[in-house]
Amino acid sequence: MSSEQSRLDPRAESEAEELGVLIDALLPVLVDRLEETGLGEIEVERNGATVRVRAEATPTSALHAREQAVSAPVASAAAPVINDRRHAIRSTAVGFVTLASDVHVGAKIAKGALVASIDVLGVPNEVRAEHGGIVGALRCTTGDPVEYGQELFFVERIGEGGR
Amino acid sequence: MTKRKITRVLIANRGEIALRILRACRQMGIEAVVAYSEADRTSRAVMVADEAICIGPAAAKLSYLSAPAIISAARATGCDAIHPGYGFLSENAAFAEAAAAHGITFIGPSAAVLERFESKAGVRALLAKHGLPTIPGSEGIVADIEAARAAAKKIGYPVILKASAGGGGRGMRVVTSDTELANLFPLCAQEAQAAFGDGSLYLEKYLTDTHHVEVQIAVDDAGTALHFGERDCSVQRRHQKLVEESPSPALTTKVREDFLARAAKAIGAAGYRNLGTLEFLVGPDGKPYFIEINCRIQVEHPVSEMVTGVDLVALQIALARGDAMPMTQAQIERRGHAIEFRLTAEDPANEFRPQAGEITLFRSPSGPWVRFDSHLYAGYEVPPYYDSLLAKLIVWGPTRDEAIARSRAALREVEIDGVATTRDFFLGLLETPAFLNGSATTGMLDASGTAAILAAAPKVSA
Repeated sequence: MSSEQSRLDPRAESEAEELGVLIDALLPVLVDRLEETGLGEIEVERNGATVRVRAEATPTSALHAREQAVSAPVASAAAPVINDRRHAIRSTAVGFVTLASDVHVGAKIAKGALVASIDVLGVPNEVRAEHGGIVGALRCTTGDPVEYGQELFFVERIGEGGR
Repeated sequence: MTKRKITRVLIANRGEIALRILRACRQMGIEAVVAYSEADRTSRAVMVADEAICIGPAAAKLSYLSAPAIISAARATGCDAIHPGYGFLSENAAFAEAAAAHGITFIGPSAAVLERFESKAGVRALLAKHGLPTIPGSEGIVADIEAARAAAKKIGYPVILKASAGGGGRGMRVVTSDTELANLFPLCAQEAQAAFGDGSLYLEKYLTDTHHVEVQIAVDDAGTALHFGERDCSVQRRHQKLVEESPSPALTTKVREDFLARAAKAIGAAGYRNLGTLEFLVGPDGKPYFIEINCRIQVEHPVSEMVTGVDLVALQIALARGDAMPMTQAQIERRGHAIEFRLTAEDPANEFRPQAGEITLFRSPSGPWVRFDSHLYAGYEVPPYYDSLLAKLIVWGPTRDEAIARSRAALREVEIDGVATTRDFFLGLLETPAFLNGSATTGMLDASGTAAILAAAPKVSA
């Protein structure tokens, strides 16, 4: 089901809402499970809706451009439910990162929330969430050196627009 | 002498010079990290580097010109030194000072030295005191139109208005009358303010039919100053160099040796440190007049490397580390003749207008005594944000004529498709009598000059 349909068709819209609730409930658990088990992918079916969570193939090394360029996020047609809802939160500066205390795998964050800060020679540079959602895989920990544009963590959006 | 640790260098530049610095570091056993903007993610320096770090978006102001981003990148990657290359922050005293405050060695003159040599007007006065002849000009900065008019009256028109903080040929205007001065003064000050953050101007007598001749110098912490011969950079468009060669065909042997020795002596005595270049104009009288100093490695440094055999970037790093000068003047033997051609993404048939776009074909020249410094590869996208330099072809020969013959052969091997380049212009230049007999002056490339040179270019099969 594409987001286009859900905007046009009231039935599809209610389904989308249902799906949103489902993702809301399941996602933190699935993401945790994925990390724990080291599995590549987990799929859950309920009431005819499928939620599939897939891990990134290779984690990006913090400061390496070539790897960064190769592993830039690509929307995959094979996993439409999750991947077009996934957003990378990226560093806004080059320096040392501090993640907000409430940012951990499975945490719910609101759109516009202050999720990290990049220390540039003692001056903090804010990183705000472009979309609300559930925090997926983390790509850094507090104190790490990060480059401009580096993926800090992923957010799985919930429903339309998130919260 | 203070020794400073340099074990890991952040290269805060792009294009061919980032590669050049990377090579010097590797050769010296020093680790290097390439700092790049988002627009340079696919650049050759980033590909070749062991480590690279993105410092900001494409806009230079937010990346290559951002002191906090660069120093922060040096800290994030554990670098103890920064090489600024040329342009960008390479002569910025505040940047050098900020780096030092974070315990990072700036590879170049110290902040204090940069400050001392920051004002062009001030440097002219300083070096005149140390025995270098200067072009008649205003005594320092001209504060307003009235002061400029008084100075111009004393010197006599034409004069050239220059930004005291300027460089790279920008912020300069030739003025031929009081009326023009009244019009151009505010314009020039405004431009200087916008480009360099400092609107102060000074003026000089405008000499026509001049050769641009510069001296490569190096000074260690103790003040031992050496020169590495001169370079003639008279072939210019919009006051920006296109071809450089060493030695200069404009100097007689007698004038040359005395001139070089005086330049080295003056710059050491004036308190300059690290690598630098003293620029002169040589008028029809054959005498060099000092115009300005460049406190950095220059684009055309390979010309001097080819005739002296000295790796100037490695020397620059060693001097920044606090090493004593590793050679004496007598040990610097200048042999033969070297010429450099700046292959830029510019259309010579269209007022050298800059080009951007994908390089669809790239073949580099080779052969004995041919050096080709370039960051290009087929498929590389020339970004529109920065300098248009694509490659530097440097050719050496035992004599000027042999260097020219080898240059013709090497240029014919250069194949770059996808953007217009200056290659055919150079092939034409190498058939132009004024260049061949060494009499090309800085005014050569007015509109008709360029057209005649392009018309002289032989057809080369692509």
